[in-house]
Amino acid sequence: MIDSCLRIATLAENTVRQAIRSRLLYTLLFFGLVMIATSVAVSSLSYVESERIVQDVGFAAIRIFGVGIAIFVGVGLIHDEIERRTLYTLLSKPVSRMEFIAGKYLGLLFTVWIQLAILSLAFVLVSLAVGAPVTASLFAALGLIGAELMVVVAIATFFSSFTTPMLASLMSVGIFVAGRLSRDILQLGQGSGDTGTAAAAEALYRVLPDLEAFDLTVQAVHGLPIADADVLLPLAYGIAYSAVLVMAAAWVFERRDLR
Amino acid sequence: MADAIVKVEAIVKDFRPGLGIRAKRVLHGISFEVREGEIFGFVGPNGAGKTTTLKILMGLVRPTSGKASVLGCPVRESAFRRHVGFLPENPYFYDFLTAREILDFYAKLSGVRGAARKTRVSSLLEWVGLEGAADERLRGFSKGMLQRVGIAQALVHDPKVIFLDEPMSGLDPIGRVAIRDLILGLRAEGKTVFMNTHILSDVETTCDRVAIIAGGRIRYEGRTRAFLDGAERLSDVVLARLDAVCTARLEQRYEALVTGIGDRAELRVREKDVSAVLAEALRAGAEVISVTPYRVSLEETFLAAVASSGTGEAS
Ligand SMILES: Nc1ncnc2c1ncn2[C@@H]1O[C@H](COP(=O)(O)OP(=O)(O)O)[C@@H](O)[C@H]1O
Ligand SMILES: [Mg+2]
Repeated sequence: MIDSCLRIATLAENTVRQAIRSRLLYTLLFFGLVMIATSVAVSSLSYVESERIVQDVGFAAIRIFGVGIAIFVGVGLIHDEIERRTLYTLLSKPVSRMEFIAGKYLGLLFTVWIQLAILSLAFVLVSLAVGAPVTASLFAALGLIGAELMVVVAIATFFSSFTTPMLASLMSVGIFVAGRLSRDILQLGQGSGDTGTAAAAEALYRVLPDLEAFDLTVQAVHGLPIADADVLLPLAYGIAYSAVLVMAAAWVFERRDLR
Repeated sequence: MADAIVKVEAIVKDFRPGLGIRAKRVLHGISFEVREGEIFGFVGPNGAGKTTTLKILMGLVRPTSGKASVLGCPVRESAFRRHVGFLPENPYFYDFLTAREILDFYAKLSGVRGAARKTRVSSLLEWVGLEGAADERLRGFSKGMLQRVGIAQALVHDPKVIFLDEPMSGLDPIGRVAIRDLILGLRAEGKTVFMNTHILSDVETTCDRVAIIAGGRIRYEGRTRAFLDGAERLSDVVLARLDAVCTARLEQRYEALVTGIGDRAELRVREKDVSAVLAEALRAGAEVISVTPYRVSLEETFLAAVASSGTGEAS
């Protein structure tokens, strides 16, 4: 058990070293920072609520580029190990495929969280500069983006365990978008008046990640109080959803011929 | 009889290339055993199924049917790999790491802990002759150096059995001798070595026992000597001023393979026919330039065997 954790940690550390060599990572991070910085310029065009615009744009930037990094950097990591055959030597050591997938997942997640921290820092600095309120709600909302990214990284890991980076990124983006809309899907189904449609919509809602649960932007920007449950429930949901996806990825990967 | 360290029983492997409706059978029910303390050569022409077999033993590929075990454990498990080292064909490693870092990484994964890891890595680097380049990134390494890194990573946890896929191909002569000496050194330490190769001279200099595979079927399993003595030996005879009539006669009578005519003719003939061929050529007024024993590559022996017996099939 301890051995297994040490191996996963070793693999995760190596994954971080691989991921932070990605040019794409820095490109996305750079544009994320640019978007946060330009939010100041955009808000100065408006006379009312300019601080809110800064924060709305900031949250959007963090979410878009965080998700972009998770997906587009993530989908290549497993594929590279197969393509370059570095996986052969890895798996000839006492490393199980489950440990390999777990190490990849955690390494990628850690990398993505570092980017989130950098983007968040820039966001807080810009907020302070324009005099927008920096509240506890704001940090709670940023923390939940971290939880959302946990799910997105799991989605990217799942798809890249069995398909090419190209397809894996398409599918991951698809699931991310569907996950943002999953509540609307549920409502559409219920509003259709047809029981079959409603049941199908509900089933879809259960399978897709409910990513809106992680979005506290409105509360944070408007300085509304956030209840503990609004943070803890999504957090628990994110951990459970990711764990299931990572195990599914390992299950699929276990059955693959590596050649 | 010593215990079987590796046991392969009736392994069949079908690949489904592309979208894969039609299966392509790559291994047709192969069986063999590797015994403790020997250097075992798994020998066959390119495409015979050697790498596929090794991938099955390493748990990278699943057999369609049949059983394989290493050290008594089914190959799908991962725990017994603590006692197994593997050098893949044309190994590749994270090139942003240095030789020392990559060995440290593999040692960690293999459960080598604490201070022991550092000394183990250093002594291995020295053993494979990379102490001078230990702290350089692998990006700048030659093929021979990467092969040494590959051997070092296979040994980092002091395994009992080492699997090597074509350890000497693609290396220059000096590199080959170096790797060969490393492999012989392993046997001296009491390790069991499983080695894939398609080069007969490597088998001759290193392997105690061999299994010969062609077209996904085992054609021979037994002591190396017994196999090599059965193989036909050839020589290259180079002659000058050999006239066309005589050339044609030698070609006919001794089934000589002739390349070049007139001033410089090269004849490949059976070793036992060499003196007869020379006598005849000298009588015809030719001049002998050289006679060299020719090492038949396994590939050629097999192509010949497969073509003549008609039992072989395209893999
Ligand atoms: N992933 C694969 N998909 C389809 N065919 C394969 C695959 N890998 C190997 N083969 C085929 O299996 C046969 C044996 O290959 P291999 O085991 O690599 O031979 P060797 O190592 O003896 O040169 C070859 O005909 C090769 O084309
Ligand atoms: Mg091969």
